[in-house]
Amino acid sequence: MNSGSRSLGPKAVYVLTGLYFLCFFALPIWETLGGAFRNPGGGFTMAYVIEVFRNPIYLEGLGNSVLMAVFSTLLTSAIALPLALLTDRYLFPAKNLFTALILIPMILPPFVGAIGVKQILGQEGALNALLIALHLMNPVHPVDWLGQSRLFGVVVMNALHLYPILYLNLVAALANVDPAMEEAAENLGCTGFRKFRKITLPLIMPGFFAGGIIVFIWAFTELGVPLMFDFNRVTSVQIFNGLKEIGGNPFPYALVVVMLVSTVLLYVLSKATLGRAGHAMMAKATSQGGPRPATPLGGWLIALFFAFITFLAILPHLGVILVAFSRDWYGTILPSGWTLEHFRQALGHDLTLPSIQNSLKYASLATLIDIVLGIAIAWVVTRTKLPGRQFLDTMAMLPLAVPGLVLAFGYLAMTQSGKLFSFLDPKVDPLMILVIAYSVRRLPYVVRSAAAGFQQTSVTLEEAAQNLGCPPFKALRKITLPLIAANLMAGGLLAFSFAMLEVSDSLILAQKQEDFPITKAIYELYNLLGDGRFIASALGVWAMVFLGICILGASLILGKKLGAIFRV
Amino acid sequence: MISITIDNLVKKFGEQVALNGISLKIEPGEIFFLLGPSGCGKTTLLRNIAGFYIPEGGRILFGDEDVTTLPPHKRNTGMMFQSYALWPHMTVAKNVAFGLEERKVPPAEIGQRVAAALASVKMEQYASRKIAQLSGGQQQRVALARALVIRPRALLLDEPLSNLDAKLRLEMRTEIRRVCKEFGLTAIYVTHDQKEALSISDRMAILEGGRIAQIGKPEEVYRRPLSRVVADFIGETNFLPGKVVSASGSSALVETEVGRFEGAVSDPDWHPSAGESVTLSVRPEAWKLTAEPAPVNSARGRIGESLYLGEVAQYQFNAGGHQLKIFELNPHVADRTTDHDLFASADPEDVVVLRK
Repeated sequence: MNSGSRSLGPKAVYVLTGLYFLCFFALPIWETLGGAFRNPGGGFTMAYVIEVFRNPIYLEGLGNSVLMAVFSTLLTSAIALPLALLTDRYLFPAKNLFTALILIPMILPPFVGAIGVKQILGQEGALNALLIALHLMNPVHPVDWLGQSRLFGVVVMNALHLYPILYLNLVAALANVDPAMEEAAENLGCTGFRKFRKITLPLIMPGFFAGGIIVFIWAFTELGVPLMFDFNRVTSVQIFNGLKEIGGNPFPYALVVVMLVSTVLLYVLSKATLGRAGHAMMAKATSQGGPRPATPLGGWLIALFFAFITFLAILPHLGVILVAFSRDWYGTILPSGWTLEHFRQALGHDLTLPSIQNSLKYASLATLIDIVLGIAIAWVVTRTKLPGRQFLDTMAMLPLAVPGLVLAFGYLAMTQSGKLFSFLDPKVDPLMILVIAYSVRRLPYVVRSAAAGFQQTSVTLEEAAQNLGCPPFKALRKITLPLIAANLMAGGLLAFSFAMLEVSDSLILAQKQEDFPITKAIYELYNLLGDGRFIASALGVWAMVFLGICILGASLILGKKLGAIFRV
Repeated sequence: MISITIDNLVKKFGEQVALNGISLKIEPGEIFFLLGPSGCGKTTLLRNIAGFYIPEGGRILFGDEDVTTLPPHKRNTGMMFQSYALWPHMTVAKNVAFGLEERKVPPAEIGQRVAAALASVKMEQYASRKIAQLSGGQQQRVALARALVIRPRALLLDEPLSNLDAKLRLEMRTEIRRVCKEFGLTAIYVTHDQKEALSISDRMAILEGGRIAQIGKPEEVYRRPLSRVVADFIGETNFLPGKVVSASGSSALVETEVGRFEGAVSDPDWHPSAGESVTLSVRPEAWKLTAEPAPVNSARGRIGESLYLGEVAQYQFNAGGHQLKIFELNPHVADRTTDHDLFASADPEDVVVLRK
């Protein structure tokens, strides 16, 4: 931005990060598109994509994916909106505790929770045992809660896992609404639900959209949960099952393309209708709104509501924990015996210990890349006047909007033999490609937190150092980086913990047992006969404890700013 | 001690021209002020001198050395920032030691020089404090010590007092001048506070729209402004439009709506001719109020509003459709009745003839 020599740095950063994105974000998508639209002769064809829409099995899968996404988003909203409104408006008993507990579902990938849910809602599960014990159900014909509609189970699992993302966005949006806007409505005679619908809801729509679209895309492309529920007629699982034929069969490619295009279309469409730039607030809040104390009864009711939602949200986790501790659990309310054996096994099994090592290795390397790239990108975006820096910013945020499944599939496609990146073939060694996959997917978190740090730290602090004889790069290292260390740690912690428990990349890219990360080990263990699901649960509990500590750390460091990280 | 020469400097931000051909020479050991309304380019000029901006045209010389494209960390200037820019993660002593560490000064010497620098701004007992534990005035002193300790070639000050309260500002003004003269520093000081500039500068430049409107000593700029903009920006004044009756040398006789005035032409390059439209500038304190008309430069009128401030009174004097602002020192307000006419007169030396 200053002299010729000094503008070389930003340009180099721009080119290098741009190259990284070109190779590991654009190229995988491009390879997927190529596989879907290229006929055996090398020419362009729409035949495969059209065939997807002719094949009743693929069509049903697509329909189910849409239903899964729509219902998951609706249920997520139904949970998150009241919680956010109550948090914004009222003080109630143990509010701080409850608003912290609300984030619990994020500490476990929902497909692990699915083990617990099946244990509770299955035909021989805890709920039926309870109902039979209460003589509310005929023991000869127990209801198969999940069998009735597998979609139902998947939607519930998704919603219970994803509502914190929407909740955090809504709370942030509500905090920005000038209370005077609502007071003006009341002054003109509009109150209660009408006021909410006509004033509040339109004002928080951008926040609603920002969180909602992440929930929608996440649910639309969710792989782990439907896999665990044997819900095979959804596009994500169909793609997963088609991977074995990725070399010769164009239909997995076509499916991925259909999924990607639908995601983009839905994103654009909903952004156009719901997420428009937002209504700029005319002025800063003129009156001190803030939450007011609820009436004693109301306060307890609100606390009860929060407790109920939290209980529902941790029920799958409780299920997993109980399974991990149980000697046997079949047709009874609680496990029929207790043991610590599975935890010992979980750390001794030839699948688990290597998987923990692998995950640590993959996740740490990916986090390292993210921190370096994140600082570089955030610096260019916030501290330079380089033309096109906004484009870099947008690019760094895109991985939030592109389904992990699509990228994972693309990585597989671009490392096939004969391709430019065939030396990264995960069948040979998935280390590199998994690290890259994790890093691309988690980069937005680090960029966001680093950019926030740069914005809060005045650039004159660095200028003062330069003025006293410190070269620019050293000034950045000695002055600004120590000052934004908290932001970097929080962003890195989030990136690390999400990478540790990443599902779609792990399931798709890790193909040999000795390369499995934790999530794939849990999945494989679960499919083992015998005590597989107990060991899988024990491993899940270890993972839960670990991720819980990481997220707690991040939220302690970031405080209320945590919500800002989960936005497109 | 070095001189600083700015030679035809041009700085653009995209299409916008921030500095439009600035040339000036600052003498060794001089305290030089850059003054002007916001957006005039004064901070941009200072940041060019510090090296944070590279100009599109022209040169900057420190002594005989061309530093135009030298990066900031190689210029050896000491800068005081408006926000002080003290590093919150370091102690006072660490902040002050930073520049010496960058210069690889031996640790023992660093200790001595930091102590001496803190002592020179009377902050020695705060050496181990964190920045957040200091008041605004204390932070300002630390920032000054940090800039001085490296023995800079020049001290650059970017509105260093704008965040202080009025009393502290007065105190720090003289403090900064004392330290600069003690260290024999060439200092460039940016401010929009004319009192600051008038009271401690050796010379000043008034900038307007990226150009220099006038350079001079405080008294020259105040008493002999070259343009309406300068007269208006420095101090308060009364403008009277008029037509030249006759002109000779550096004085001119001008016919205005409140009477005929003789004044001094401040711009030596300008010789107004008879019949030319001009503007007169008369400072409020230059007027004398009398019951009888003075032999020259007298306006007949009546006092309207008056404001008594103790040592001075401010009157609104209505003369010939004009409202003149008049300050009277050691006033006797009781004598200043509003029910009959008075005469306001000004010495020809105190009447400045300016271009219209």
